[in-house]
Amino acid sequence: MENLDALLESAPALVEGAGSLEELEALQSHLLGRRSRVAELQRTIGRLPAEDRPRVGRTIQRARRTFGELINTRRAVLEAESEAMTLAADRVDVTLPALEYPEGYHHLITSTIEEVCDIFIGLGYRVVGGPEAESGTYNFDALNTPPTHPSRLESDTLYLDWGDPADEILLRTHTSPMQARYMEKHDPPVYVVVPGKVFRADTPDATHSPVFHQIEGLAVDENLTFADLRGTLAHFAREFFGSQRSIRLLPNFFPFTEPSAEMHASCFSCEGGGECRVCGGVGWIELLGCGMVDPNVFEWVGYDPAKVSGFAFGMGVERIAQVRHGVSPLRHFFDNDLRVLSQFR
Amino acid sequence: MRVSLNWLADYIDLGSAEPGSVAEALESLGHEVEEIEHLAPRFRRVVTARVMEVAPHPRADRIRVCRVSVGGPSMTVVCGAWNFESGDTVALALPGSTLHGGIEIGRRSIRGVESDGMICSEKELGLGEDAEGILVLDADAPIGDDLASFDPLTDTVLDLSITPNRPDVMSYVGVARELAAYYRVPYRLPQTEFPEVGGVPRIPITIEDPSGCYRFVSQEVRDCRVSRSPFWMRTRLRASGQRPISNVVDITNYVLLELGQPIHAFDMDRLGGAGIVVRRAHHGETLTTLDGVDRRLTSEDLVVADRQRASALAGTMGGGDSEVTFRTTAVLIEAAAWDPPTVLHMSKRHALRTEASARFERGVDPALPPMAAARATRLVTSLAGGEASSRVTDVIARPDRMEPVTVGLEPGEVERILGPGFDAPRVTDLLSRLHLEVQGQGPLTVEIPTFRPDLTRPIDLVEELARLWGYNNFPERVPRGPGGGRTVQHQRTRTLRQVLCGLGFSESVSLSFMRASEIEVWGWAEDDERALDIRLRNPLREEESILRTTLLPGLLRVARYNNSHGLENVAVFELGKVFFDRPHPHLPKVPDQPERIGIVATGRMGGSGLGITRRPVDFYTISAVWRVMARHLNLPDWRLDPVEIAGWHPARTARLTVEGREVGTMGELHPEVVRRAELFGRVAAMELQLDPLVADRTKWQFQAPSVFSPYTFDMAFEAPEELAAVDLLAATGEAAGELLESARVFDEFRGEPLGAGRKSLAINYTLRASDRTLSGEETAAALRSMADAARRLGAELRGEL
Repeated sequence: MENLDALLESAPALVEGAGSLEELEALQSHLLGRRSRVAELQRTIGRLPAEDRPRVGRTIQRARRTFGELINTRRAVLEAESEAMTLAADRVDVTLPALEYPEGYHHLITSTIEEVCDIFIGLGYRVVGGPEAESGTYNFDALNTPPTHPSRLESDTLYLDWGDPADEILLRTHTSPMQARYMEKHDPPVYVVVPGKVFRADTPDATHSPVFHQIEGLAVDENLTFADLRGTLAHFAREFFGSQRSIRLLPNFFPFTEPSAEMHASCFSCEGGGECRVCGGVGWIELLGCGMVDPNVFEWVGYDPAKVSGFAFGMGVERIAQVRHGVSPLRHFFDNDLRVLSQFR
Repeated sequence: MRVSLNWLADYIDLGSAEPGSVAEALESLGHEVEEIEHLAPRFRRVVTARVMEVAPHPRADRIRVCRVSVGGPSMTVVCGAWNFESGDTVALALPGSTLHGGIEIGRRSIRGVESDGMICSEKELGLGEDAEGILVLDADAPIGDDLASFDPLTDTVLDLSITPNRPDVMSYVGVARELAAYYRVPYRLPQTEFPEVGGVPRIPITIEDPSGCYRFVSQEVRDCRVSRSPFWMRTRLRASGQRPISNVVDITNYVLLELGQPIHAFDMDRLGGAGIVVRRAHHGETLTTLDGVDRRLTSEDLVVADRQRASALAGTMGGGDSEVTFRTTAVLIEAAAWDPPTVLHMSKRHALRTEASARFERGVDPALPPMAAARATRLVTSLAGGEASSRVTDVIARPDRMEPVTVGLEPGEVERILGPGFDAPRVTDLLSRLHLEVQGQGPLTVEIPTFRPDLTRPIDLVEELARLWGYNNFPERVPRGPGGGRTVQHQRTRTLRQVLCGLGFSESVSLSFMRASEIEVWGWAEDDERALDIRLRNPLREEESILRTTLLPGLLRVARYNNSHGLENVAVFELGKVFFDRPHPHLPKVPDQPERIGIVATGRMGGSGLGITRRPVDFYTISAVWRVMARHLNLPDWRLDPVEIAGWHPARTARLTVEGREVGTMGELHPEVVRRAELFGRVAAMELQLDPLVADRTKWQFQAPSVFSPYTFDMAFEAPEELAAVDLLAATGEAAGELLESARVFDEFRGEPLGAGRKSLAINYTLRASDRTLSGEETAAALRSMADAARRLGAELRGEL
């Protein structure tokens, strides 16, 4: 009994002294094992006088509980320490790119088209496509282009050796033929954007390519005026180039719009003046051609130009992407160099 | 068109307007200013001087000693030029002056005579290329003035880009007229009076082709002296981008720039016979034009001819035979109105675009020729002397072209297009400023002058109103459409693009052409649709002469481009149209041009890292990509069958069938195609029709996952070589019935101990029921029937069940 009391007194120090889980196991067997003092007492309890048994029994229970708790507490500490050491040894170089997943890149032309379309979808427009191999009828005639217009010459337009020569099958020179194709099939109101490839008889150089991309916009409704054209394009400029943009329209000439204009947006990179990589110090960036739909186009598709009015615009996709991201020369859009593609976002 | 503001001031007073604000005014009117150039002399301490006396040099024959005055005591200057006499005004570089190019002039002795400076040539002053003689200034120039402050030398030039619908602005008077409307000030026309002399015979003019020539005005000047133009004219022409030649030739250019009416001058003595005929050329007729080119003419060309032969390409360029030279003493001045398309086609046909053709092809005011001829006559007689007949000869073949047009305009119509604020008084005011005559109050009647051929309809006047009002003075309003957004096809195409990017493929965008050299290696059979190519009628280069019938050559080009720039692993795809020589299924008159998706991979692909190498691409790369595509596009019903197609690997190519419809090909390209594309190793590729993949397919049904335990096990089969894995999977799967959750081939093996023509396929199966945990008996029965099903295909289970 006295031994057990002494043991109970020294147990905390003993357990605390166990430096490892192995030492703690040994200690556990010393304190609570088959040959421990507690076990010995337990075995002799039957031989004690009856009146002593409850007291001794309680002492044994207290000792077991105390030793058990001490050991468990110490074990938890030792286990945590041990795991901490294991984890410490498991250290990695967090800067090492040890595993790489394959990465593919979206083309800047596509992502620009998607972004612009999203802006106009937000205004209630529909996205439509159209044929790239087109007839002279839609590419020129429907768009009020006179038969003698220089854009019809072989020096400007790529013609196909296909079909009836009278139909002048060609590679569309702009996305505008879809204006006529869409209006022919749908009644007003019309709010559409048409992204797509267009073609010109140009030899590739820094600023020319026989193939490039445009996005056409067309809105036809009752009561659309020049103010709607201005407002819509200003909205686009702010969405695409930043909320601080203003626009200016300068008169220009296109066969299928009247009044016709060229739209400039205020430069997003400078305040005008000085040397600017983007605008050359002018303060304005030429972005696109636009105008009010010419009455002759309405007549061609069977709309009554006295009842409806509308506006159209056509922007070069490479142009606006080039302005915003500085991609130059133009061939970087078509070489598909992975070092270029991987820069596209 | 280059516009010198000094010259422009002859026709309009712009007061104190700065060049920058003039440029802004022009831009707001639709005349883009490409550049504002400030011209300033690049010399110092050069003054105007009068030559008082010229004497021979005492010790040299080729140089002379001049006494010159700059206002004070006279100075002595030695000069080697001979093109001046006493009384002329010249440019004198004083000692200490600097000439063009930084040359410094000091006092020096020339063969014993002390020279107080140097009399300068145009070239030495940086004013022109002429180094033949010294610069002789206009006789009335004040002497002793700093030449640098000489008015004509300090100038601002606006380089204007005039849109093709505005030929009337391609002249100084035209620009002045536009600015007059903008600034609300008057503009002036140049003086055209000249001393009239009767008795000069007049050459008869015949217009044989009124379809090409509306009007022909001519004027003869006899006994004139062709020499250099005065300094002011040379300076103005140079500032406007013209090279001075001789006074008569310079005058034709001067009047062209001044009024916009091209003028031609013939040496009258070099014209054969008395009489001018405007006619179509005879087929095969030849003409040597002023640029020295011998041109063979066709019956579509329009010429100005004498009685014998063509002397000029109408409205385009004169002939060398009748060119005005310094020996010319009699000139015939021509000012005509030519049919715009005739000139346009002639200039295109002969690849000859001149200042004259650029104006005629857009339309020159048919009322201009008499005034322009008179203006030229005035300048010739005053600068080159000579006698002119009292009136110009004016032959009008198309009087209908000279009548002014009227256009009716409803102010309400203006407001319908431009918005409110354009009532009759404002419309009348704006149009009047543009020199249009407006009559009426409600519906307006507008008389269009002949110099505005572009104004024929009410909408043309609406544009004029907007232009003068200022495009940027309109409010901004944003209308909303009824919606619609992207079609399902567009959305699913976008999904496809995103899936491929996620798998490591980059999107490529190529020109839509293929080259003959790229396609011959494929050896397409005649009935292969890829042989149905369409050629361009007017290709610029071989590279862009054939429309693509397949995306693969373009993608191989991309792979090759990247390979050659050190990037060995290339995985790219392209979405785009191909073109076939057959009718479009829906649209009349245009060729079939369906959308395709093409994929090419070369090198290695997949994840990589420490201890992980990317897998070299092969058939399985591309079929794995397809399975991901099919899952994302919700296309469960598809199959691959081996196929042999020209250009593809005969044993590693599959045809894809989706819902019973053949959709395309995938696999490895034939080594010969790979070699010809200058690529290495295996090249995996796919080309599919896009439409069947992205058609509307939104319906699928949810299946609750089972909460019971799965039974997962492997089976290895020894099978004949020709047994397709998909068939073994299908047969064993069918045998497992509803219990089958998944089956995946994890090993394929050939060689010992298997016999020749045999292979081993190891498959990992998972069985699971939705309503219970499978019992041992159930799984054993399933395994037996799966082994039996395999056996019926000739595949034996390896090992025990």
